Amino acid sequence: MEPTVHRRRLIGLALALAALAATPAMAHHSFAMFDRDKPVAISGVVKDFQWTNPHVWIQVMVPDAKGTPQEWGVECTSVNFLRRQGWEKDSLKPGDKVKLMIFPLKDGSKGGQLNKLVELNGSTAALPGYQ
Amino acid sequence: MRGLVLILAAALAASAASAAPALNARYADPAQPDITGVWQLTGYFTFRADKSIPKLKPPYEGLYARRMKAFDAGKPIDDVTADCLPPGMPHIQVVPYPFEIMQTPGRVTMLYEYAGQVRRIYLDGGQPKDPDPTYYGTSVGRWDGDALTVSTTNIREDTQGDFTGLPHSDALTITERFRRTAPDTLEDSITLDDPKAYAEPFTSVRTYKLHPTWTIGEYVCEENNRNQIQANGVTGFGVPPVKK
Repeated sequence: MEPTVHRRRLIGLALALAALAATPAMAHHSFAMFDRDKPVAISGVVKDFQWTNPHVWIQVMVPDAKGTPQEWGVECTSVNFLRRQGWEKDSLKPGDKVKLMIFPLKDGSKGGQLNKLVELNGSTAALPGYQ
Repeated sequence: MRGLVLILAAALAASAASAAPALNARYADPAQPDITGVWQLTGYFTFRADKSIPKLKPPYEGLYARRMKAFDAGKPIDDVTADCLPPGMPHIQVVPYPFEIMQTPGRVTMLYEYAGQVRRIYLDGGQPKDPDPTYYGTSVGRWDGDALTVSTTNIREDTQGDFTGLPHSDALTITERFRRTAPDTLEDSITLDDPKAYAEPFTSVRTYKLHPTWTIGEYVCEENNRNQIQANGVTGFGVPPVKK
């Protein structure tokens, strides 16, 4: 049986979990803007997944207190680092439902640095590593 | 015919098998101790892993205090790397991105994944005479037993010691001592000697782990940089809007 695209992605994410080493969080710039002592969870729908350098970005629509979707920008590490952890350019797609742990911006605006992907389309079986 | 194909296949397999461990050795120079390979920093990526800093003299002391105040407030300033300018020396030696060392006659070349940067270390005084300060300065290397000692001068004043913005003056001389302390471990003892900015020389001993299966990937910082420095001097976040 040919693995489906979804299945291949899950396998990729499982490999990523296996590769979960103590990789430090990194940014090409100072990450003083992030509060690394207070990770928070956000849940929403992926609007865009930018597989680019210097950072991979996840744009995600997160409902606010009134249920209105608000766009959050989540900065990840570089393409090469995510690839070494098993991510691929299609690991996330627009429409995917995700739960992310992020180090939020200290100024309270809607964004942060990815800590880890906690849930993808309801699956907690495979959690790619990122710290 | 079938036999020939099998022989060719066997030869190809043998060459592939022998090529694999030689991936880095291809770039080694038999006349030098071998420090080739793809290496990654261990420990935290401040200049010293324990975050201690040199005793700074004015005005560098005040400059760093302003930077740290902004840093702690989550509004980092003076971070030229946010605009995709190179980190330069000594910052590039304490980033978490891997780098590859190649050795050829008269030269040690370090190729960094971070922004595709390069350090050229000339052995035996073969360095060019360059009167202009540069991001990586002018590096002269010499083998002292199994240690590569490197003296670097002519470094731009706007490079920093690490991502926190540790400053230095144009009088900085960096002396390094690279040594393979184990088959999978490279050590670099980095001394900053800057009589204008520091009260005394300051040394950080860093180690790097060998990653034999890694290759250095492309990293073009300008591809989708959404962290440009804003008009108030603070590093941006999420700008410009999504590019397609």
